[in-house]
Amino acid sequence: MNVFITGASGGLGRALAVECAKRGYNLFLTDVDEDGLSSIKRGLERRFNVTTATCVSDLTSPQSVDEMLAVLDKHRLRLDMLLNIAGLDFEGSFIKREREEVVKIATVNNAATLRITHAILSRRKHGSRFFIVFVSSLASMFPIPLKAAYAASKRFILDFSTSLNQELKPLNASVLTLCPGGLATTPDVVKSIEAQGLWGGLTTNPLELVASRTLDKALKGSCIYIPGLLNRVLSIIGKAIPRQWVAALLYKRWSNAQKQWLNLPETIL
Amino acid sequence: MKTVVITGATSGIGFETASLLTEKGYEVIGIGSSAESCSSAEKQLLLRNPSAQVRFYNADLMQLSEVSRIAKVLKEDLEAHCGNLYALINNAGCVRSWYMTTAEGYEQQFSLNFLAAFLLTYELMPMLKKSRGRVIMTGSKSHKGVNVHWDDVMLSKCYNPLLAYKQSKLCDTLFAKGLNDMFAAKGIRAYVVDPGLVKTDIGNRKTGALVNSIWSFRKHFGKAPSEPAKTYAFLCEQQIEPKGFYYHNCRENAYSKVVTSENAARLFKLSERLCGIRYGEVF
Ligand SMILES: NC(=O)c1ccc[n+]([C@@H]2O[C@H](COP(=O)([O-])OP(=O)(O)OC[C@H]3O[C@@H](n4cnc5c(N)ncnc54)[C@H](OP(=O)(O)O)[C@@H]3O)[C@@H](O)[C@H]2O)c1
Repeated sequence: MNVFITGASGGLGRALAVECAKRGYNLFLTDVDEDGLSSIKRGLERRFNVTTATCVSDLTSPQSVDEMLAVLDKHRLRLDMLLNIAGLDFEGSFIKREREEVVKIATVNNAATLRITHAILSRRKHGSRFFIVFVSSLASMFPIPLKAAYAASKRFILDFSTSLNQELKPLNASVLTLCPGGLATTPDVVKSIEAQGLWGGLTTNPLELVASRTLDKALKGSCIYIPGLLNRVLSIIGKAIPRQWVAALLYKRWSNAQKQWLNLPETIL
Repeated sequence: MKTVVITGATSGIGFETASLLTEKGYEVIGIGSSAESCSSAEKQLLLRNPSAQVRFYNADLMQLSEVSRIAKVLKEDLEAHCGNLYALINNAGCVRSWYMTTAEGYEQQFSLNFLAAFLLTYELMPMLKKSRGRVIMTGSKSHKGVNVHWDDVMLSKCYNPLLAYKQSKLCDTLFAKGLNDMFAAKGIRAYVVDPGLVKTDIGNRKTGALVNSIWSFRKHFGKAPSEPAKTYAFLCEQQIEPKGFYYHNCRENAYSKVVTSENAARLFKLSERLCGIRYGEVF
């Protein structure tokens, strides 16, 4: 099994890479962070008996992606699975963020994801089943003021992947969308979970279980995975209440929580 | 003057140990995770004792690459000063609420509480050798009653934060055992200090609401960190190296039956692979 992972040096990417390595899959990892990429490669190779190839790439740049694809093609690498993990968020209200920061949310979470999905899909192994995982978020279920662009970008992923799943059925490929609540991946995320108190703890999903179940569900051909009972209930409630009400309610909650950890640097979610 | 390196010397047990050792005339090199915590600890120590011989370096010891980097810095520093290392106190530690990983994808408590010490000690071995030095591990009573999960030391199947902590402290104890098995005959000795329950903020840093509130309650029953500091000083002060292994309140104490030479050797093998080193090659 050849697996391609984007955002492989972030918290969720690393956890999934470890999970794949444990299962004996061969890995092709990419990320913008060169040091991070070589660290995770080193860690995996010391721990597991797997082949791990890495390539630094900025998925927002078509040129950079083309260079990476050239490496894949040179080695005639064909893939069985694509894990689209790369994504980011900037905290705070829309107008207070830098203009190019808010644009970057859509460029990375959406445009880059489309680019790499198209590229890897056309390099899938023929004659066997192909699997794609997209990382959306519980945030995709609601309009979320103060996380407006992020939540909308995750909504895009959810809708796109649901449609793509249908399109790809005749091609023997299946698409899973992961919609996690909080995942304690970076110190900043831990801070934001802390700031939300008990609520933060309750909506936080254990990373190691999310990683292994994501692979299980992808292989089974499921189309959506919302980890945690509470998160599943929340997603249903989100559908039942008028969207303006949800927005008003969430605005109140987030503005309180964010006072405690405003001005966070870039966090990979 | 004897030089001692203490990791996690910016607060809690490590800080008080640094304070006591400088008072007793040792030269102390402390390590903390950030430049801010290091400079504030250094200032506080000098405030307590203006003639203290103390300096700090910062490194995120959770990352193995950082351990290697700081080891180089320490070696250069030691070379420039006394040329050897009298004692290495591996004390930096953390508690986590969730399965979180380092850049290598290693579980964080295992990586900081144990693996960092395993690698740092290896790197400083030549310096310890010159002075027939001592390695002191901060252990914990909680290492009793657990075993090493050999097939999944990072507990990546189903994480239990408390178990991860206990196991990391068991590994510290096994590591000290293994060091003695390999190097006691060559003059280097390793010890474990069991500090008991100590009133520090370890459970309140980067942890979730549950662990945070449990620790906030529990730590009130703990003693002051200056208490366990005495045991580290006791182990450093003996002219002839103490014959015991596991110490609590300056006295030998019982430790887990799981701490055997066989398990120690097994842990060495596993950790050598994870760090990319071979202890057998240091002498
Ligand atoms: N408190 C207890 O009851 C108890 C009982 C048994 C054993 N212990 C052990 O005692 C040791 C010290 O803990 P403590 O209670 O004194 O807690 P503490 O006050 O939280 O001290 C922890 C120390 O470790 C350092 N540290 C944390 N993360 C680090 C990192 N990534 N890189 C480098 N240094 C890092 C901290 O430095 P910064 O401040 O710069 O981050 C700090 O100096 C730990 O090994 C703990 O397991 C404690």
